[in-house]
Amino acid sequence: MTAALVPESRENTAPVQSTYTPCGVSRDGIGGWRIMFKELAESRRLIWLLILRDISVRYRQSILGYVWAVVPQIVMVGVFAFLHASRVLPIGGTRIAYVAYALWGISVWQLFAGCLLSCANSLVSSGSLVSKVNFPREALVIAALGQPTFDFLVRLAPIVVVFIWYGVVPWWESVFIPLVLLPVMLLALGLGFVLSIANLVIRDTGNALGTALTIGMFLTPVLYPPPVRWPFFLVNHLNPLSPLLAASHDLIAQGFLTKPEMFAAVCLLALVLALGGWRAFRVTISRVAGYA
Amino acid sequence: MIIGVEGVSKKFCRSLKRTMLYGVRDVARDVLGFPANSNGLRSDEFWALDNVSFEVQRGECIGLIGPNGAGKSTLLKLLNGITLPDKGTIKVAGRLAALLELGAGFHPMLTGRENIYLSGAISGLSKQDIRKNFDAIVDFAGLEEFIDSPVKYYSSGMYVRLGFAIIAHANPDIFLIDEALAVGDGSFQSKCYAKLQEFKEREITVIFVTHSLDMVMTNCSRSLLFDKGKLVGDGTSKVIVDKYNRMTTRGAQTENILHENRVRGANSRSASKNIEWRGLFNVNPDEDRYGSRKAEILEAGIFNLDHAPVQILERNREFLIKIKVQHNDSMPAAVVAYSIKDPKGIIMCGTNTLYQKIDMGKVEGGTVVLIVFKQVVRLNAGDYLLSVGCGAWEMGEYIVYDRRFDYIPFQVAAVWQRVGLFDPESEVEWKRLN
Repeated sequence: MTAALVPESRENTAPVQSTYTPCGVSRDGIGGWRIMFKELAESRRLIWLLILRDISVRYRQSILGYVWAVVPQIVMVGVFAFLHASRVLPIGGTRIAYVAYALWGISVWQLFAGCLLSCANSLVSSGSLVSKVNFPREALVIAALGQPTFDFLVRLAPIVVVFIWYGVVPWWESVFIPLVLLPVMLLALGLGFVLSIANLVIRDTGNALGTALTIGMFLTPVLYPPPVRWPFFLVNHLNPLSPLLAASHDLIAQGFLTKPEMFAAVCLLALVLALGGWRAFRVTISRVAGYA
Repeated sequence: MIIGVEGVSKKFCRSLKRTMLYGVRDVARDVLGFPANSNGLRSDEFWALDNVSFEVQRGECIGLIGPNGAGKSTLLKLLNGITLPDKGTIKVAGRLAALLELGAGFHPMLTGRENIYLSGAISGLSKQDIRKNFDAIVDFAGLEEFIDSPVKYYSSGMYVRLGFAIIAHANPDIFLIDEALAVGDGSFQSKCYAKLQEFKEREITVIFVTHSLDMVMTNCSRSLLFDKGKLVGDGTSKVIVDKYNRMTTRGAQTENILHENRVRGANSRSASKNIEWRGLFNVNPDEDRYGSRKAEILEAGIFNLDHAPVQILERNREFLIKIKVQHNDSMPAAVVAYSIKDPKGIIMCGTNTLYQKIDMGKVEGGTVVLIVFKQVVRLNAGDYLLSVGCGAWEMGEYIVYDRRFDYIPFQVAAVWQRVGLFDPESEVEWKRLN
């Protein structure tokens, strides 16, 4: 089922002329970015429907449903909290109670990792939709952000419970946390665009990504406070997720950012990656559509 | 011109590992801005389409036919804009809707209703558009009872009905269909053809890929014949279908040139003796004749029961078809066949000596056999064409010795009218019930 996207009423619009050449698609000779944003705007309803589809379908044939979205993280935090409390692992002190710190950290990490994995697999799992139907396929990658975000929102419930239990009262500036999480998602999206194409061609990419993310979690101050000793404090500087995570902790614990310049730098990086990844996606998708 | 295809070629790689390798290289070239290296064939690659060019005008209904692997589906994918050609240009002016695969875009866990909205969104329709057409779509597909069941419980026929119903209401300028109408029961197929008629009236261009030559001849004014990636025929459906038939039977290859020369001597002696009906019939000067000529049809004719030649038959009368076959070698006698077609090329009826269980035994070179078929014509009034042929099964393959398509035109006349292709010879009784 396909159609080139055009507005509904055909009478008022000039006929769409598409030209397909080995070098790419050109529509009426207009340059790339404007067309890209136009098609993105036209696809927003499709993206919304795809997100709804993913979320509503996931637990259709299960009984416990969304419980499964929260259980793994709670279990992991529980294990580390036990290890921390019994001093088995030498983890440093955190500004808020360790359990709360770890649970929040893991949720933000899961947002990033979930988005990245979901985007990277979005084309491969859509199969014939990529190879047989003509529509802006970045809608698939963008829509893949929906489910991990929804999972994150679901996990806010146990986080609130844990915060109340440990008496953690966030500063009112915490309402700005969504602005911190947005670069997290853009980072995942940018990398996701590139990896989704790579995964179509070489399926190892998806598997390698899973392993890389597991390692990555331990290279981010999720389950431990930001290190100060050399060489470990490099983790704070080389990992783009660290400043974002630290910024969210700052907002919760003290209401202002300790390192606003690092945060701004990473935001810029995330935006550049997202746009660059999108562009690379557009350029290469026609070439790899047959691999789906 | 609504579609313009110029010098288009597309290559594929046979091996999966190499596909990956070439994919990486090609993607890298694309991203870094280098032009793709498409001119030659790297190892394990082959041209799925080779230098194809044609134009389509608005409102045409075109059939793409050809053996499997000829490149038809690849061409549809290129027209659809999903992949790009490796050489050449494709211009498409207008909205395109395609049914390339059963239920592409359907998610099995979603209900039919949800899938309609999703597919509509993928096709670029707005929510209002879909809601307006929702009832029409469900009604066309005949799925009122099951529209709220998950689509994974649908049969393949229901799948394609839903898919086609959604596309049919998408209001495109151009419609591509890839052999997808093969599934679906009779009533659905007639709905589809009715819809296609509607498309033709609304001047919507339709491009079909199909193996059903009947469908091509009834619905498509023009056909394109593909073989091994090349466009080998472009013209009216009847001509192209005949060409396709010739391609798929082995009689067309005149490998036996030596054989022909050797027997030409034998030919001239017996031939002149046996050709006696020349001038009795108005034969078709444009008859399509081919075959290896291991046996040849000297002549054929239509006669009434008094052995007088006729070219106008009366419906429901017995008549004779006489065919003279000269064998040019010692061989088992050839199977002799006839078929009657209407001017559009649809085969009305026919039979052959094999089906009729006639065994003529072996013959020597130079033997001429006369075969007489006696039957009753039940065809309704109209013009028809008689085709004759002879051939044999050799080593599991049917070899055509001589085929003369549309050899003799004739007419059937009738006093009283009937409906349709043939006369069912109904007998009617009636009586009053009150």
